[in-house]
Amino acid sequence: MSRADRAKLIEIEKLVKTYRMGQESMNVLHDVDLTVYQGEFVAIVGPSGSGKSTMMNIIGCLDIASSGSYKLDGVEVKGQSDNKLAAIRNQKIGFIFQGFQLLPKLTAIENVELPLIYRGLAGRERRARAEEALRTVGLDDRMHHRPSELSGGQQQRVAIARALAGEPPILLADEPTGALDTRTGQEVLALMENLHRNGHTIVLITHDMEVAERAERIVRMKDGVLTEDDSGRRNRREAVASIPNGV
Amino acid sequence: MKLSQAFRMAFKSIWANKLRTALSMLGMLIGVATVIALVSMSEGSSRQVQSQVESLGAANMLQVTITGRGLTTSLTKEEALEFADIPNVEGVSPIVNGNATVKYGTTSESYTVEGITPEYESVREVGFVKGRYIVDLDNVNYSKVALIGANVATTLFESEDPLGKTIQLNGNRYLIVGILQTKGDSINGSADDKVLIPLTTAERLLQSNGVRSIYLKVDDMDKSEQVQALLEARLSAKFQNATNAYRVINQQEAMETVGSITQTMTSMMAGIALISLVVGGIGIMNIMLVSVTERTREIGIRKSLGAKRRDILLQFLVEAITISGLGGAFGIAIGYIASRIIGIVMSTETAVSLDMVWEAFAFSAGVGVIFGIFPANKAARLRPVDALRHD
Ligand SMILES: Nc1ncnc2c1ncn2[C@@H]1O[C@H](COP(=O)(O)OP(=O)(O)O)[C@@H](O)[C@H]1O
Ligand SMILES: [Mg+2]
Repeated sequence: MSRADRAKLIEIEKLVKTYRMGQESMNVLHDVDLTVYQGEFVAIVGPSGSGKSTMMNIIGCLDIASSGSYKLDGVEVKGQSDNKLAAIRNQKIGFIFQGFQLLPKLTAIENVELPLIYRGLAGRERRARAEEALRTVGLDDRMHHRPSELSGGQQQRVAIARALAGEPPILLADEPTGALDTRTGQEVLALMENLHRNGHTIVLITHDMEVAERAERIVRMKDGVLTEDDSGRRNRREAVASIPNGV
Repeated sequence: MKLSQAFRMAFKSIWANKLRTALSMLGMLIGVATVIALVSMSEGSSRQVQSQVESLGAANMLQVTITGRGLTTSLTKEEALEFADIPNVEGVSPIVNGNATVKYGTTSESYTVEGITPEYESVREVGFVKGRYIVDLDNVNYSKVALIGANVATTLFESEDPLGKTIQLNGNRYLIVGILQTKGDSINGSADDKVLIPLTTAERLLQSNGVRSIYLKVDDMDKSEQVQALLEARLSAKFQNATNAYRVINQQEAMETVGSITQTMTSMMAGIALISLVVGGIGIMNIMLVSVTERTREIGIRKSLGAKRRDILLQFLVEAITISGLGGAFGIAIGYIASRIIGIVMSTETAVSLDMVWEAFAFSAGVGVIFGIFPANKAARLRPVDALRHD
């Protein structure tokens, strides 16, 4: 199945992000174009300060571009109200952050339930879905532990479960292994590969080329400019195509 | 997000920060406790005063006191009884009063003696428990009969039955025909300490020509002012416009005056206490503002997961309301205990009404809304990117 047949989940054209600091303004993203298709595992790789997180914030509707167009799942994000953006985040995006960003006072399952609370799901269904998500990441035996009682790798898995719980079409991961040692980082990456195989669309942001190689497709970010050569996609495309029931 | 969910979240957060919650509700707690204790005291004393005023007689009573002018210093019994044909006057009770030495056996004591007509019973609402009342025939016959109050009976007769015994009033022998009902304290002097005799006999005994004190009972309380006006018109005709020759006291007015005084006292105390509630509210606002800053990252995380402004606003507002409401509830409990202790220690009456409890609780929750809005709004308006980066 070729890319063109699949739905375009993310369509970014000529996107510019300018930060204004007093009198000066700084262009962090220059005319970025990026299209992500359903079922893809894309890595955005680049050195620190190149604008990756800025990019992810815009993709995740946490921030708004200065100009250009961004369509998420066919809907133009620009000009949407705060409330609408919150609803989009809730339904379309699953965030996985470098620092896990779990609420320390809540247990694992309560953390995973949060996006479902904001979606307005009733207690019983919410709990069932959260349990299911924790099972997916292999943490069903740690459900009632606080983040402080979990290792870094486990905390990141709770965060992934939280991202999965609402079954959003896109998972956005910003340096998901950045706070982990190599071995647990590998585990988390393996988990993400697994999710990809099961049909999830993933955008992975990293400064580490080795991490980026785990993705199916690599785009490079440097000084706010996004470039892509075919080399990044090649090695994985066959693998995806070989999954029996496709994506 | 549902409201119940917001409350669950608030309780979780409050429980997770027990010390901070306790400290921030302290101001509210003290404020509410003060309100309850102060208001219970003034309400208690107002009830005390109220019951004293009420014991003066029913609210639907007019009292005419004649101080006299020139030769006419009193009305005759017949003139007084004519007031009965003023519309809405249910009964007229003319009284001749003075003091007399009352003697039984070797015991003698000075008491208020009132010469009355049978109407006294219904107009002054003084009943009897034993024997009979003064009847019209007693007045016609100048009978030397007496009814005595409960205190008079115990002082003169101790455990003896006074009925049928003879006492001496200023040396004149009177037969006791009845004992009055116990009435309790009264500003005007209780009927418990009185001796009642027929009006005609009293005029002789006390060497008083005519009546100087008349009580009128009005059948409709709303009409008492109207009756008062008619009464004053008649009196002024009789005393040739010498308005200082008589005085008409409206029991209703007296009660309203006392009522308004205690009302003012209560509102003043409540006002002072309200200030402490506002101070408590400001305390909560401070803590909530600190809490919003401290929890900026939490707010960012919640927003990244899809929390709308409204959800964050609700979360922090409900938290503020819960803290102030809990403070109010504890304050009510402590204020109630304090009012009981004050009542015992100072041996005054204190009263905590259910209305007061509700108002105090509602007010403290309201303070939570007012002082919670600002911090909650501040939290709700945070931009998710900025909030997430905060550390
Ligand atoms: N809120 C902001 N205000 C001003 N400058 C910012 C802001 N956020 C990011 N930047 C700047 O934008 C550039 C890109 O940042 P970022 O997207 O975080 O890079 P990366 O994630 O690739 O390390 C950096 O130079 C950073 O200083
Ligand atoms: Mg970054």
